[in-house]
Amino acid sequence: MAGSGSPRGEVRVSQLTKRYGDVAALSDVSFSIREGEVLGLIGPNGSGKTTLFECIGGVLPLDGGAISRGGRPLTRAERAAALFYLPDAIAPWPAQTVRWALEYTLGLFDGRADWRDEVVRRLDLEPLLDKPIGTLSKGQRKRALLAIGLLTPQPVLLADEPFDGLDLRQTRDVAQTLGWFASRGRTLFLSIHQIADAARVCHRFVLLSSGRVRGEGTIDELTALARARSGDERTADLEEVFLALT
Amino acid sequence: MPSPSRGAFAWVLDKEWRELMASKAWWIFLALIGPLVGFSFIQAVRTYGEASGVGGTAAGVGEAFSPLVGIWAPTFSACELAAAFLLPFVAIRLVSGDRQSGALKIELQHAMPSFVRVGAKGLVLAAGWIVASAAPACAMVLWKLYGGTLYAPELMSVAVGHFLNAGLTIALGAATAAMTEHPSTAAIATLGVTVGTWILNFVAAVQGGWWERAAAYTPTAMVAQFQHGLVRLDLVLATAALIAAGLALAAVWIRIGVATRRRIAESVVLGGVLTVLIAACTLARGTWDTSENRMNSFSESEEAALRQIRAPLRVEAHLAPEDPRRVDLDRQLAKVRRAVPKFKVDYISATSIGLFEQTSAHYGEIWYEAGGRRTMSRVITAEGVLESIFSVAGVAPPTENEDEQFRGHPLAATPTGAGYIFYGLWPAGVAAAALFTRRKDS
Repeated sequence: MAGSGSPRGEVRVSQLTKRYGDVAALSDVSFSIREGEVLGLIGPNGSGKTTLFECIGGVLPLDGGAISRGGRPLTRAERAAALFYLPDAIAPWPAQTVRWALEYTLGLFDGRADWRDEVVRRLDLEPLLDKPIGTLSKGQRKRALLAIGLLTPQPVLLADEPFDGLDLRQTRDVAQTLGWFASRGRTLFLSIHQIADAARVCHRFVLLSSGRVRGEGTIDELTALARARSGDERTADLEEVFLALT
Repeated sequence: MPSPSRGAFAWVLDKEWRELMASKAWWIFLALIGPLVGFSFIQAVRTYGEASGVGGTAAGVGEAFSPLVGIWAPTFSACELAAAFLLPFVAIRLVSGDRQSGALKIELQHAMPSFVRVGAKGLVLAAGWIVASAAPACAMVLWKLYGGTLYAPELMSVAVGHFLNAGLTIALGAATAAMTEHPSTAAIATLGVTVGTWILNFVAAVQGGWWERAAAYTPTAMVAQFQHGLVRLDLVLATAALIAAGLALAAVWIRIGVATRRRIAESVVLGGVLTVLIAACTLARGTWDTSENRMNSFSESEEAALRQIRAPLRVEAHLAPEDPRRVDLDRQLAKVRRAVPKFKVDYISATSIGLFEQTSAHYGEIWYEAGGRRTMSRVITAEGVLESIFSVAGVAPPTENEDEQFRGHPLAATPTGAGYIFYGLWPAGVAAAALFTRRKDS
């Protein structure tokens, strides 16, 4: 039933809460991920970005809140079919080759085999295919992980720090690759702590600080919000908007 | 590599097998089990040969020897050591590896039930154990080459017992690895449980009673039964239930996305179900003596005579748990239990060791009761026990049949070539296989 006003493919995160003992990592976090958009999650280190992704991805238990799609709360199985969360700073199956990891992802998740060659080409993985994942550098591993995420079939991909460990050229190439996938209907939700990187690739933004959402919208919408709050008409770019709102 | 159309489970199995082959713990386990088994086999063959008359020693004892007791029980006991001290690390590595590398966060996003995922790990580890069983299989080939006899049913019994024991270790390792953040914690917890079962055995030997009943289901006690060629349905079922429970516990705890409180509640329910299952398993009465020398049974004619007893048979033995006579008596009464369905044994003692009860009036007495008649004996040999039972039950003892007696398989052999195979060829072969596998995968 999509009759509660949400478009069919929109994912709505409502009042999500997560605590570690007495510490509130996330407090009443609410926002939407619109179908086909590239949504950026921006926040300083320790703001709760990874916790939020892990809770949405189902690898960390929630203390409260709900995740719905098309206005309907998602069951665990439905969430697994709708969302794929790509963690940061992991080295899965370190003894296996990149080639095997891609085949495994395609086989296990019944992924997009027709995109395999395109992903390998765009992320420049051809020279790395026969290398074990555990032997890759941080940047190489990040590209291999992105390939795994991009080959999964879920309509929404959550990628934690997709540019972390990449050099300038690789960052630009990965941003183009993500844009290419978004233009083909894949919804992307990217956690990015470098605001310049976020501005390069995202359509809309969610600003997170101290476990709370400080703003949600396009740069123009957030700029207007920042100006309204600070009364400073000079607030212009995303960095200044972020500083004004957090 | 499985084809993409073969389904998610085939991919998970493929992945688990690759991870096992990539694990140093597995190759070390495989490299060590050969020399361990070899050492036990070589010592057993030497002892068996000496008892059979090698080196001019007087033949005699070896004629009563069965290879089950003389060769296979000690040879396979090396597998028990490997299962207790090496296999847990292989199991923990396979389960913890996913958490440590972050692969678990990716894989858990597939809708596959976690028990199926853990089951795949269990299957691969069981397959690994079967590969490692090539070591005792080599010993069997050598024994045959030396001129020894192999009796398939008793060998199967020993192999199945050790397979079940390995299953217990795998399930325990998987459960602790899933429940703890770090593999070293899981290793300590696993060894703690193993040592705990040994303490239980010790307490049972001292205290008797319920402790003794509980200790009958520890891995050590279970393996001992199989090593004597005795297959007990209750033990098989209880072990299978424990293995399933261990894997289920692992399946509960690898779901890192589920709240800890819920996982604890599920574990408590699982514990309750397991307790009921084990209690139900203890009611199973089927037993099979697979030993060639019928070491767990009386002769066929004696068993036929025992089966004629219709009235409930009760034995009241005044012997302390640590009295060696009680161990011997237990062995004979276990044989009676297999032939007489309505059979009850009660032990009465004031102390655990019995040393200071020797002077009390009734200590050492064994009372037999059937159909309102009672008789007392102090004899603990098979002949003495049977004589008392036949007397109290009013059943005519069978005439002794010489043909039924096991003549033994003496073999005055030396373990020629076994050292080269187990201490040289085996480790070299494992090292070569490890290198080949790693090169093929990279």
